[in-house]
Amino acid sequence: MISIARKTLLHDWRRFLPAAVAVAFSGVLMTVQGALLLGIVSANALYVTQSSADYWVGFPGTQSVELGRTVPADTAAELYAEAGVSHTEPLLIGSGDWRAAQGGGVSVTIIGIESAADAKGLDRVIPRALRNLLSAPGAIAIDAADAGKLSVKLGDRAEINGRAVELIGFIDGLRGLGGVNVVASLQTARTLDTALPADGGATYFLYNVKRAGEGESIARRLNNRGSPPRYEVWRAGMLADMSTLYMLLDSGAGIAFVFATLIAMLIGAVITSQTLMAAVAGTIPQYATLRALGVPFPRLRKIVVEQAAWVGLAGLVASLVISLTIALLAAIYRVPFDLRISVIAGASGVVLLVAMVACMLAIHRLRDADPASLLR
Amino acid sequence: MRPVLQATHIEKSFNVQNIRTRALIDVTVDICRAEFTLMIGPSGCGKSTLLAILSGMSSPDQGAVHVGSFNLSELTDEQRDLFRLKYCGFIFQGFNLFPALTALEQVQVPLDYMNIPEDEARERALLALDHVGLSKRKHLRPAEMSGGEKQRVAIARAIVKRPVILFADEPTSALDSENGRNVIEILRATAKETGTAVLCVSHDMRLLSKADRVLQMEDGRLLRDERPNAVSQSTERDVP
Repeated sequence: MISIARKTLLHDWRRFLPAAVAVAFSGVLMTVQGALLLGIVSANALYVTQSSADYWVGFPGTQSVELGRTVPADTAAELYAEAGVSHTEPLLIGSGDWRAAQGGGVSVTIIGIESAADAKGLDRVIPRALRNLLSAPGAIAIDAADAGKLSVKLGDRAEINGRAVELIGFIDGLRGLGGVNVVASLQTARTLDTALPADGGATYFLYNVKRAGEGESIARRLNNRGSPPRYEVWRAGMLADMSTLYMLLDSGAGIAFVFATLIAMLIGAVITSQTLMAAVAGTIPQYATLRALGVPFPRLRKIVVEQAAWVGLAGLVASLVISLTIALLAAIYRVPFDLRISVIAGASGVVLLVAMVACMLAIHRLRDADPASLLR
Repeated sequence: MRPVLQATHIEKSFNVQNIRTRALIDVTVDICRAEFTLMIGPSGCGKSTLLAILSGMSSPDQGAVHVGSFNLSELTDEQRDLFRLKYCGFIFQGFNLFPALTALEQVQVPLDYMNIPEDEARERALLALDHVGLSKRKHLRPAEMSGGEKQRVAIARAIVKRPVILFADEPTSALDSENGRNVIEILRATAKETGTAVLCVSHDMRLLSKADRVLQMEDGRLLRDERPNAVSQSTERDVP
């Protein structure tokens, strides 16, 4: 069977190029926008994603990690009582008012972490040596990118809530969304923010399990203990996703994304359909001749559908290649770019939808292929 | 003379800007096998309308078209498609070839839609191209061919199906005299050699001497029906 669709695409590729470019453009626009947005809002989940703990225990009903409230001290005892739990530690999240030697006040978030060498809290960004240094009273660390905002250099002294602190190290990878994160030991955090529990309670308890397979059943058991529940257990990934989603919806950034997606879809659909329609219109006499020779209408429709599918596929591949290249550049230049499979799948789905809509409009044009119109 | 197509009392009208125009008025005609029939007449006399109705591409307001046991007016659109696919070939003034396909592929396409196996389709396409004298040009695309060659490819595409009736609408008007003569010779030879009924609509008076039969139309009516020469008979293929 001679494929008129494919032969025409190859022979007349210049004619179909704009459609493939439009599809690729929609795909790239959606993917990049989505990945950038996720990269930015996923900063809201940094406390979770920069820690290697498997499970987080916090106040029941917490929607986002920074909104955690105190869970009582005996939670720790319940975690220790679970034979499958290998490691547990508290994590504190408080707030304070920063005052440097020069400059005004800045509101900061205080993260109190366990200073033991095997601690899991923020262990992806706080190396063992730095953690050790933090155990000194009043010692703090901040993300290097926030130094300017706090007007502070390494070794400088400042005050948080009127208590002296000393910057003993910089962190790479804990830059918040607008706010500033100050990391300290549990003891230092408690002295800086007196609202934090001093009785052994914590904002979160982090734990790991001995065998990965048991994780879910332990979490389920803990979650079903006590009514009303005094705490809730989340997988780390789940709490991170909740926090990202919360910021996405809360900040209104999600709406911007939806809007950009609609624009990308519209532009893609308009250009692709125009191109396909022009291609069909240019081939109407040939199609009409096939109709005269008795080729049924659905067989002609198949030609257009096949062309649209190839155009969509070509655009999709181009979009993937470009998006991956941008992701690579973003990684090199340290731009927050979170290219997830879900973003790629979503954008690909929309792109194929665009090609389908364009195809349907082009098929409509095929109705002009009336064989009687060839007779004059 | 055995008619392969019989049209009786055909009427067709059009509304153009709220004015009703009678394009065909009580036309009764039959088309015979192995004959090269030429239909002539001035512009707007209804030749093309009659061709569209005889080939089942449009329906008459009144009257019937019988081909073998089929009454075209009673068939559905799908059945008429199937009828044309099996029994009709068409040649138009514009050659209407696909720019992307080679001469061989252009000719093979209709056979693909008739579900003829690839090898056989290719062989038949080569034979058809040979019949129009283009077997050496089979690899060329339309952009690389002259007008006459393109029309010969279009003829090969029409005859490769071995149609019972071959309709040609102004097949020579876009060609110079030599190419026009060639095309007519091929159509005439097709009628004689394969028994196909060839109905050719044309303005071209040079064709008059080549036709087995001449139908003259004017103002929607069939004025004259003449057979200048004797016609041989053939019994190769018939519509059941």
